[in-house]
Amino acid sequence: MPSMDVVLEARGLVKDYRRSRAVDGLDLVVHAGERVALLGPNGAGKTTTLLMLLGVVTPDEGSVHVGGRPIAGDRSHAAEEVGFAAGYLPLAERLRVREYLRLYGNLYGLAHPDAAIDAGLARFRVEHLADAMGTELSSGQRTLVGIVRATLHRPRLLVLDEPTASLDPDVSRRVREGLRAICDEDDTALVVTSHDMAEVERLCERVVFISGGRVVADGTPTEVADRFGHSDLEGVFLHLADDRTDARPPTTAEPGP
Amino acid sequence: MTATPPRPDRLHGPALTWLRMRAVARRHAYVLLRSPHRLFDVTLWPLVDVLLFGALATYVARGHPTAGGKAAGYLIAGIVLWHVVYQSQISVSTGLLEETWSRNLLNLMVTPLREVEYVGGVALFGMFKLALGVGVVAVGALVFYSFDVSTLGFGLVPIAGILLLVGWTIALFVIGVVLRFGAGAEALAWGVMFVVMPLSGIFYPIDSLPTALQPVAQALPTTHAFAALRGLVDGHALAWSQLGIAAAETAVLAVLACWFLIRMLRTFRRRGLITRFT
Repeated sequence: MPSMDVVLEARGLVKDYRRSRAVDGLDLVVHAGERVALLGPNGAGKTTTLLMLLGVVTPDEGSVHVGGRPIAGDRSHAAEEVGFAAGYLPLAERLRVREYLRLYGNLYGLAHPDAAIDAGLARFRVEHLADAMGTELSSGQRTLVGIVRATLHRPRLLVLDEPTASLDPDVSRRVREGLRAICDEDDTALVVTSHDMAEVERLCERVVFISGGRVVADGTPTEVADRFGHSDLEGVFLHLADDRTDARPPTTAEPGP
Repeated sequence: MTATPPRPDRLHGPALTWLRMRAVARRHAYVLLRSPHRLFDVTLWPLVDVLLFGALATYVARGHPTAGGKAAGYLIAGIVLWHVVYQSQISVSTGLLEETWSRNLLNLMVTPLREVEYVGGVALFGMFKLALGVGVVAVGALVFYSFDVSTLGFGLVPIAGILLLVGWTIALFVIGVVLRFGAGAEALAWGVMFVVMPLSGIFYPIDSLPTALQPVAQALPTTHAFAALRGLVDGHALAWSQLGIAAAETAVLAVLACWFLIRMLRTFRRRGLITRFT
């Protein structure tokens, strides 16, 4: 059950790119232990929002606090409380999995990260990959190792961009179970983006739909589906995608993976 | 039900900074060891340089024994010390490029790693590459042309120190340009050295340059460092006045480079340019 501790607080986020407004006054508050999905069609502003939450993109307006620390003025300390993985990013080349994880463990301040590495690999059942080169892994294995990397330091906030994209059902289940366990054991807040609505319904207890850079729905999957008159989140997604297509031309200026 | 293990202890303060710098240095050491073609910059290229300029020096000395002998010393000592600037610059700027080539930049930028810790880490590893590259040139000069650079004495140490700092400073400019303009600007990492090299008068006094370029050359700290080096080759004492000018110009250049890099990082974050590298 989520606690009342606020882990992530984003207020009034605005981001303009050359040809369009990518994020338009977005507010998002996430509590410890919450599992939140950030959803929306391509170009809705999800990636820009995530990058602002992580401090990699500076908002034109608004503020982001992680664990009470402002990401703008105290990025390094705020980032100590955050873990991030993206399904589309490869592992660094020419490193074995254990070397790669040690590197990131050290960057997060763990002088002796081996115990955390072993526990993380065991949690996602990929201990046998410890000595493999990063380039030898399948996309599913890379995703699992990426999540192990993001959780080595047991962050208060875990941000995952498309973690289950193109994964088989077995690996997706391992990701889901591992994430649930992490959130439950450490009260870690999870913010995840995904286009797999069924996966989201299984993993997250709260969904935030973004369209045109604004939050258009926020609640449990059932509440949000009911509000739009659909039986599931996929119906809501398609509803918003149709609205967006009717309302305005697709955005071309927003960056994204 | 199993108890949740305690959160792992994290380092703080200078110990944390040192841990992160060593981690970055170790990551780049693995890259170098596991991709032998990257050794080209620190072995083959220095060897080609010493062969080329050593052969030129031998030819010049043969035709004009007195003046030619002096010119030969300038050429070989110049190329040995040039590799201090070259290796220190290349190792830091290609450190960042390595992150862009392996699409690792976003993963690094979301960690608590500070920019100064990253640059410190690649510079730390760069010291190893520098020792290797300059070692190859110095040994090559000794083996092929019987030129022992150590005979120039301890005056080499402050000259090499200035050149090391200049190399790092140029690398900060290169990193700033790559962040702002994308990986397409990576050719600058090597290209900029071909601009600095002739303007620095590493083999000759800069009054040999076209008049219009001489003020530019005067503004480069490398010009004064290499002038001091030629003094040593001529058998004079170390020209502290030249070294002082070089140190002052290096300090100014370093401040400008830091300012430029900070501005480029701000632009990088403001414009969301990270998406070029994901």
